[in-house]
Amino acid sequence: MSVHRILLAGAALTCALAALPAQAQLPRVLLFLAFLAVQPVLAQLPLESDYFLEAPDSVKHAVIVVGPSVGEENISQFRQWGYSLHDILVRDYGYSTDTITLLHDPDEAGPNPGNRLDGTSDRAGIEEAFAALLSRVSDGDQVTVYLIGHGSGEGEEAKFNIIGPDMTGAEFREILDRFERQDMVVINTTSASYGFSTFLSSEGRVVISATRSPSEKFDPVFSRYFIEALDGRAGDLDKNNRVSMLEAFNYAKANVEQWYEEQGRLASEHAGLDDNGDSRFSLGPGMDDPDGRLAEIAYIDAAAPGVANGTENLSGQALELKTRMQQLERSVFILRGRKSDYLEQDYWRRMEELLVDLARTTARLIELNPELNP
Amino acid sequence: MTNLLTRSMLLTLALMLPLLLSTGAALAQFDDPAPGLDPASASPLYRGEELLQTGSYAAAAEIFQQADGLDRNPGVIGASRALAAMGNLQEAMRVCENLIDDEHADFPLVSTQLAEVKRMAGESAEALAILESVIDGLGARGTPERAPVRTLVQYAGLLQFVGRKPESYVLLREAVDRYDNGLVFSSQDVAMVALASWMLDRFHDANSLFQEATRADPRNLEAHVLWGDLFLEKYNEGEAERSYADALEINGRYTPALVGMAKITGDERALQRALAINPNSVPAMEILGRILQRSGREEEAAGHFSRALNLNPEALGVLSALASEAAMEERMTDYALHAAQVEAFSPNNPIFLADVAEHFGGNYRFTEAVEYARASIEADPQYWRGYTLLGSNLIRLGEEAEGRANLEIGFENDPFNVLSSNLLTVFDTLEEYATLESEHFLVHMSPRDARILWPYMEVMLEEAWDRLVAKWDFEPEYPVLIEVFENTQDFAVRSVGLPDIGPLVGICFGKVITLISPDTLSANWQEIAWHEFSHVITLQMTRNRIPRWLSEGISVWEEREGRPYWGRRQGLDLVRAAQNNQYLPISELNAAFSGARSNADLGFAYFQSYLVVDYIEETYGFEKLRELVVQYGLIKEDSERFRKVFDVSMNQFDAGFRNWIDRRVAEINVHVHQEDLPDEGEGHGHGIRENSSAILSELYNNASLKQYMRTRLEQNPRDFMAHLQLGIVLFKEESFFEARAALEAAHKLLPSYSGYPSPALVMSQIYEREGNREEQHRWLEILLENLQHDDQSALILAEAALERTDFERAEYYIDRALQVDPYESDVHALRARLADETGNSPLAVTEYEILLELEVSDPVEARTSLAEAYMRNDQPAAAKQQVLEALETAPSYLRAQQVLLQSLEGSPASEEN
Repeated sequence: MSVHRILLAGAALTCALAALPAQAQLPRVLLFLAFLAVQPVLAQLPLESDYFLEAPDSVKHAVIVVGPSVGEENISQFRQWGYSLHDILVRDYGYSTDTITLLHDPDEAGPNPGNRLDGTSDRAGIEEAFAALLSRVSDGDQVTVYLIGHGSGEGEEAKFNIIGPDMTGAEFREILDRFERQDMVVINTTSASYGFSTFLSSEGRVVISATRSPSEKFDPVFSRYFIEALDGRAGDLDKNNRVSMLEAFNYAKANVEQWYEEQGRLASEHAGLDDNGDSRFSLGPGMDDPDGRLAEIAYIDAAAPGVANGTENLSGQALELKTRMQQLERSVFILRGRKSDYLEQDYWRRMEELLVDLARTTARLIELNPELNP
Repeated sequence: MTNLLTRSMLLTLALMLPLLLSTGAALAQFDDPAPGLDPASASPLYRGEELLQTGSYAAAAEIFQQADGLDRNPGVIGASRALAAMGNLQEAMRVCENLIDDEHADFPLVSTQLAEVKRMAGESAEALAILESVIDGLGARGTPERAPVRTLVQYAGLLQFVGRKPESYVLLREAVDRYDNGLVFSSQDVAMVALASWMLDRFHDANSLFQEATRADPRNLEAHVLWGDLFLEKYNEGEAERSYADALEINGRYTPALVGMAKITGDERALQRALAINPNSVPAMEILGRILQRSGREEEAAGHFSRALNLNPEALGVLSALASEAAMEERMTDYALHAAQVEAFSPNNPIFLADVAEHFGGNYRFTEAVEYARASIEADPQYWRGYTLLGSNLIRLGEEAEGRANLEIGFENDPFNVLSSNLLTVFDTLEEYATLESEHFLVHMSPRDARILWPYMEVMLEEAWDRLVAKWDFEPEYPVLIEVFENTQDFAVRSVGLPDIGPLVGICFGKVITLISPDTLSANWQEIAWHEFSHVITLQMTRNRIPRWLSEGISVWEEREGRPYWGRRQGLDLVRAAQNNQYLPISELNAAFSGARSNADLGFAYFQSYLVVDYIEETYGFEKLRELVVQYGLIKEDSERFRKVFDVSMNQFDAGFRNWIDRRVAEINVHVHQEDLPDEGEGHGHGIRENSSAILSELYNNASLKQYMRTRLEQNPRDFMAHLQLGIVLFKEESFFEARAALEAAHKLLPSYSGYPSPALVMSQIYEREGNREEQHRWLEILLENLQHDDQSALILAEAALERTDFERAEYYIDRALQVDPYESDVHALRARLADETGNSPLAVTEYEILLELEVSDPVEARTSLAEAYMRNDQPAAAKQQVLEALETAPSYLRAQQVLLQSLEGSPASEEN
């Protein structure tokens, strides 16, 4: 997969400037200087890479591994998280039992697993499941791995607790690395998840860890809120009817913080996200952070129908409007990424021009195609 | 922030210094016996020291006197110390005098011991003469290198005591230099160098040296206690307590340590023990007198003070305590007399004036405290405690800039002072706070509270002002300064200078109120603010002279006047206290506050004070209550005040109150079983009081509990708690019909009961389980008639009222929920809905602004809703900015796009600019 990753920063800049209103464009000489000046910023943007491109024929797969536990409360909680995740992906995100692989401890799977279970969360079960998945996936598909359960240890000894001998981060990485032509997301919600997660970092891969320090060893509540973010698209921050990994992460993180505050307890977990492959997990990925660019475009589902998406049955004029909208949206993202380069007033003036243009274009599209009005 | 770092760095350094400076063991004063030697056959010196260390003073005195030869001098010193420890000062002096011929300089240490005893006996002039004669005799005046360290330091201390501070410095420096030159070895002498450093304001060094002294000889009791005294002077009670405890662990009969401990804990028993060991301990008498004075037991206090002065007419602490009381009561002739007494032996003494300032401050008389603190600084501009006192009292008067400046001076010169350091740290916090103003109030609160709490607090405070000022016919000085702290420790420090304040949630100083932010409470914050503002009225009416019981009693009583559902409904406690004969005479009520040993004690002090005020208002009318408050602004005896206002003696008043209580008990007519525990609450009655008996009953087997409660009811059908507990058990068993009967019986017996769980609460839960919303809501309404701290029930009722478009009731219950938790987004969502449904666009804007502040998961939605509210309120420019911020995150969000386009259409040019 890495072979076809080519940064097109210059092209992206041209495209971005072309999308800016005429009065916002710079003279040619200045444009060159501006290119030099903003290149490092743009180099961080995912808009120039082809990770998580979501080709129309790409498929999204999920692997949910629920590790064993002790005590009815924990067992029941992990089971509930695993099944809820499975059901939400099917209900809201277009997954099916064919695209979800759920591995569980059969002794802890409860009385009514239905047809959800695909295997056992032991070493053999995990290896078999991923091998089977590898045989099914195509180039450009997305594989999202959810780890639920307990973790332990630090550094090379960091492990995900499974039935039988536990699995180290290095061992799990070997399994994941086989999917070199697919986009990969890992959400590790276990206790002491940090050490394990650092082994999974890789260029083009989004890794989310419920904890960001080896000292955070208590069972986190992150998983509960990550699933809540997906449920009914509660985490859809930008209202495009889709939930990105960054949105789900931010939703869960904010709610975890509030949970600890309400409990009057010192937070014993701080979730982190790494998507630039440097194994350094950011606590606040996003606009001004090295991490967050890929997570922002790594969606859990395929594009949902609506104004922002879907091009079926559109007239030529409507398609033009749609293209214009996409360009404007892209310009908004780019401007947003360069916020710190502008004086505040200037930034908002530029942003207003783009957003008003986008709003008017959208309104015209809806006038032409009222059925797009949700 | 810079200050904070500097302070913390200094304190860290201070803590490290002892480790850095520790130089190994110093020589013990008395030699140990040779290894293997039977202690009984050891030298009298060794045996005497052993006995002295363990508190066998009489035996020690006897054994020490058997020492002869080279041991004779230390033996005499030991004997004198042992005798002094028993309070036998005359004999302690005599043994020294017997040894000394004419020349004190020939016996420098024995003479120093003699001088120390004389100082204890109030003979400072003679003590000074002896020490002068030692120094002179040694040819050491001006070049005192031959005098023992102890002599130098004791002499210097005495010089400072008698107002000759500049002369003391050369001696103190000599002691320190001697240490620096490696010429001080014994633990006892190191402790003296520590004392010298302390007197030179080198507090870090003093701390380190005390540590060195106690390490060198862990049994050096004097060093432990002096170290404790140093900590105590710096308001570091925790460390001080540790030092005193270390001393007491070695010798439980060491009276200076017992006295030190009592200064911290206020434990009278420790002092009684000290006086049993040393019946002439002047420090023990002084502290006991102060404790009694604080508890209103003036006569007993006077007895101890008088005895102390007989033993030591120069007892500075006793004289300052007497002078403080005289000044408080405006007996200025008496004050002048005590001041003159001090002036005679210790001219211009800053400690005396600072003690008076501290006494005034401790009694809420901040104006006078400031005057005396200023005088203390004037007497000695290098007396740093004076600046701390001045600063801390100024900020209680709301004079924050000057207060802070003085605290800075105090801290810069005395960075060990925990009080200055803590208070300055809070100023760092306050710098980040918002300042808000209403007509009569100036408020500091966190930016979050400014956005969420202030809109409601402002309205409530101004209502309190209007109503209470009119009612009491008194307008306090304004603006009243209110500081609302998010952090409980900041609140405690700002209030009392130290981070632990117990269960208090608000404090009023007269012109200043400090509060804990409702964000960290689960109680009705409006009731608390109302309570504290009532203190502003009564404190300022009396120039802070009102006794605590009356001020608290009125504030609690005013809670009920503020809203009918506020205040305390403690019918069971009223009956229980009558059964237990717990009510105190009025003359002892103040002591119930200062002498409270537990939260329950303190809670009862509040409760009885409230009942007394209720009694006054019911029996004599509000005007008489007001007259009584006015009387407390005047200097006179309580008996005169009560005679003037009620035309009865104090005893008659007490009897009247007790009769009134008996009538109330008869009216309540509920049986209180002796086995039942009183309800427990926090925050001095602010907050839900938990029904301990009902909670404990969870531990029992249902069948046996039912049986037991039924037996109790057979014995006494008016046993409220038996009905309630029976109802709870039946509810747990889902025997709803029977449960209702028991709970209704309980409710009928005591309809105002507001403990948790209450009959009304359980009834509502039964109906909820049965799906009968109408009855569930009816019981929740009953519950809220008597319970001000429950927001969840109010939310249920508000939503139900909105559903049936009963906007008036919806508004009422929304307000009830806001009074408890203004940070709950559900209540703001309901209020925004109410505003939308009633077309109240300004209110909608306020609510959506708060919802945005509270939102953590979906700020885009919250901004868009706020933008819509702005549009409805004709604020298109504000709407545009909000919606731009929403679209910045979610550019394709259709609803926000539509608001953006609307905002462009509706932007008047004027607003756009």
